Amino acid sequence: MKRLILATELKNLWREKLVLTLFLTTSVLALVAFFNAHYFANKQRDVVLAAQQMQQQTIQNAKAGLPERLASTENHKWWEDPYDLRGQAFYLMQNYATKTPLATAPIATGQADVLPYYFKMLIKEKQHIVHQYDYVHPLSLLLGQFDLSFVVIYLLPLLIISICFNALASERQGGQLRLLMLQGGSATHLLTYQLLLRSALIVMPFLLISSLLLVIIRDQMGVTELLSYNLIVLCYSGFWIALTAWVNSRAKSAANNAATLVTCWLALVIVVPALVNTSIALLDPTPSRIHYIDSLRAASDDAQKASEKTLAQYFQDHPELAKNGSGASDYATKKIATINSVEHAMEVQDARFLNAQQAQQQSAQKLQYLSPALIVQTLLVDLAGNGLTRHHAFMSEVEAHHQALQRFFANEIAKANQRGDFAPCDGCSAKPTLTNLADIPQFSSELATPVYSYTPLIWLLLLAVSLLLIAKRRVNKLDSANNKEVLVV
Amino acid sequence: MLQSTFKKEWLDTKRQGQALWLSGIAVLLLLLACVTGFKSHQSYQQAVNEVSQSEQLRWLNQGEKGPHSAAHYGIYVVKPTTPLAALDDGLQAYQGNVLRLEAHIRNDSLFRSAQDNVPLSRFGSLSPAFVLQVLLPLLIILIGYPLLAREREQGTLKQLLAAGASPAKLFFAKCAVLFTLPCLFLLPVALFLLYSQTASEAPYTLRSALFLLSYLIYLLLWALITTTLSSLFPTARRALITLLTIWAFATLLLPKLAMNLATTLHPQGSGQAFQAKLESEVYTDARLDAIEKFKQQTLAQYGVSQVADLPFDYAGAQLQFGEQYADKIFDRLFKARLEQLEAQSQSYQLAGLLTPFIAVQTLSMATAATDFSHQQSFENAAEQHRRLMQEVLNFNQRDHGHKAQGHYTAGKELWQQIPEFSYQYPRFTHYLPHYAISLISLAFWLIVLVLLSLFAIKKLRLEEQR
Repeated sequence: MKRLILATELKNLWREKLVLTLFLTTSVLALVAFFNAHYFANKQRDVVLAAQQMQQQTIQNAKAGLPERLASTENHKWWEDPYDLRGQAFYLMQNYATKTPLATAPIATGQADVLPYYFKMLIKEKQHIVHQYDYVHPLSLLLGQFDLSFVVIYLLPLLIISICFNALASERQGGQLRLLMLQGGSATHLLTYQLLLRSALIVMPFLLISSLLLVIIRDQMGVTELLSYNLIVLCYSGFWIALTAWVNSRAKSAANNAATLVTCWLALVIVVPALVNTSIALLDPTPSRIHYIDSLRAASDDAQKASEKTLAQYFQDHPELAKNGSGASDYATKKIATINSVEHAMEVQDARFLNAQQAQQQSAQKLQYLSPALIVQTLLVDLAGNGLTRHHAFMSEVEAHHQALQRFFANEIAKANQRGDFAPCDGCSAKPTLTNLADIPQFSSELATPVYSYTPLIWLLLLAVSLLLIAKRRVNKLDSANNKEVLVV
Repeated sequence: MLQSTFKKEWLDTKRQGQALWLSGIAVLLLLLACVTGFKSHQSYQQAVNEVSQSEQLRWLNQGEKGPHSAAHYGIYVVKPTTPLAALDDGLQAYQGNVLRLEAHIRNDSLFRSAQDNVPLSRFGSLSPAFVLQVLLPLLIILIGYPLLAREREQGTLKQLLAAGASPAKLFFAKCAVLFTLPCLFLLPVALFLLYSQTASEAPYTLRSALFLLSYLIYLLLWALITTTLSSLFPTARRALITLLTIWAFATLLLPKLAMNLATTLHPQGSGQAFQAKLESEVYTDARLDAIEKFKQQTLAQYGVSQVADLPFDYAGAQLQFGEQYADKIFDRLFKARLEQLEAQSQSYQLAGLLTPFIAVQTLSMATAATDFSHQQSFENAAEQHRRLMQEVLNFNQRDHGHKAQGHYTAGKELWQQIPEFSYQYPRFTHYLPHYAISLISLAFWLIVLVLLSLFAIKKLRLEEQR
């Protein structure tokens, strides 16, 4: 009987040309989504590579030009001289901190198009470094990338609904269910096979094609990541299949089922996420960046106005730089001291933004249980390495690198100043104080593989199982031979 | 006919209950969105006023210093909003709203607030525009899909037509009911627009009128398409599935695909490449040569052999020459970048012929002044102000620098000579050519759907004759 049900269902789907249509639809969606996101990730990877190449090229060029510079007797302006520590520190340095997209990046672009993934480092206030961003069309940011997560979260459920909403209902309305049951079949089996077969036609080609593309096209795609991706998609699809089973088990008309399922989709995928997002922003509002500018400006003014005091404080904090100091501190040391002072003054403001974002993230983690779409988006974005955890780790590395650069230049400038290299004689040019650009600290990233928790997935599974159990109990009523009422449409 | 149909549909709606609670939810969401939008707009505008004022005071009270130091000190300017931004915040979060104006550099705007958000924010927040563009069409579909199809299924359509009901009147009466209900949702929006007209210093009458009109047309389009498909399909189920597919394509899939395609067709280099190009084109030997040539020309013009003999401070003249030299390069490179971005905008707008969502979204953001073109206007005005600042400061250095004993410094009198940057958006008519495609798209959709409706009415007539 089970075989008969399966064969009939397949025949019906084939007759309606649904098998081919669905296979083509999901395949095209998988292909377009993958290549679009892959192209985007590759663009970012190319920028990272170009920045790294430029950095190495600058080091090589400086190495090649060193003999000429050493032999030169021309008057060099320090801000244009690549062999001057001050010129490098404040104007000329080609030093980049970069974050390379992961192999899993096409799964979910997340905030990767909005958040910066490379920084050109200079010795200036951290606040001026970390707010650089790629100037792209803001509309493309508003609309987001067409990636695999978009298909999974928005379109797969719609496709599942569109093909499964009349499972059982059309047989009930057409009278075939009664015939089937008279022949010893059961409504539970019919519904199960209908839902499994129909949703498999959507989910399987999509998973197969997207997984194959991830393995073949993306370099170094890990098995764990691939399995995680498949597991997340299967669990999410499982939830929607369970929801469809529950709605179909209510023994209402197919049109009613469709309206209910679409309303559920709209609520869970569109309205609840938007409401959660709005609530998060209202509960823990992000401080105003416009006021932040005001604070930054005030801090810079204060540090400038009290530059001597700032410098004294700086030497008190860094006594090693004041060694043998005659008090005739140079412009560069003063500037670094001022930068330090501004950064210190802005710590409270920076912390406010970080705290607000962390509070929002915590709220998001709690509220994600309100919608399966939120759970899956969080998991996929983390899996793709485009989540906040990896970004915060990257930003910590950037800050550490920025500090390393500051320490390096502060030390070297102080030493050069003590040696008198910046003004070897009255009116003559500064000596080359940085002969090997490779001495400048270079950014090295040790970003760990993103860690993600599967706990929300368990909640999703629990929801799915509960819905299935309720659906089973209801459909069992249909199976009861004595209960003829339910067979009447 | 309209009255009796309205009564009948209202009764049906009440009996079903589904449409009523869906409408209730939509009203609540719209009101919530309006309140949060208004609050967010108010706090933004307050921040703009406060910071602009304190920045101006900071500029005026920066103390005695050399004009070129003041040029480096610079000033931050903040993009203002219109009251309509409370209804559609458009691209506000995805483009910087602050610009630093300083010597030698044309900066990009700073601080995209989207960078401070959590990834969840990409699901979109609840704004009035989101409710009007995405949720109301769905409400129209959910209420309207059975309007004629169910009548047909139940056999009442035939009875109605046989009783002498005009197919055209029946069709338009149903459509009018479907259009009227969501129009009620526009009431809070219209009230807000009226309020903002009276409360705002600069009334935005044309913008408000176009904002409202574009949404009215948009809702009418959805009412027409829903009634038409409900009339054409034999069953309500098929009408519903087709309408939902159209909705998903029109509001979710096509806009995303259209923009992704636009950025692929008109690719833009990375920010890193753009900065590298700026640096490599501005700070070149050619620039040093040009400065040297300018020096020789100036010396020759005044018939002297060294700059110290000039009747003005050469440093100021050279600084201004350097600015103008760099400005030409900025103009060329920024223009090339802008052309690519504009091409992306136009390609996206062209996709409005595939979905009216794109057309109404474009017009909505445009009238609210929260789109890319308005951002560009602001950035261009800020850049003109930067150039004016540099000119005033450099010429002051040129004209007075040589008179000073030692280092020349200026004070508040000079800082006051630079007018305060107070940006007002140009009249909307100035922008209309930018949105021609979207306006045409809306008109195109209206014509197509009216024709489709006439076709549906013709089919109803044939049904009557059968």
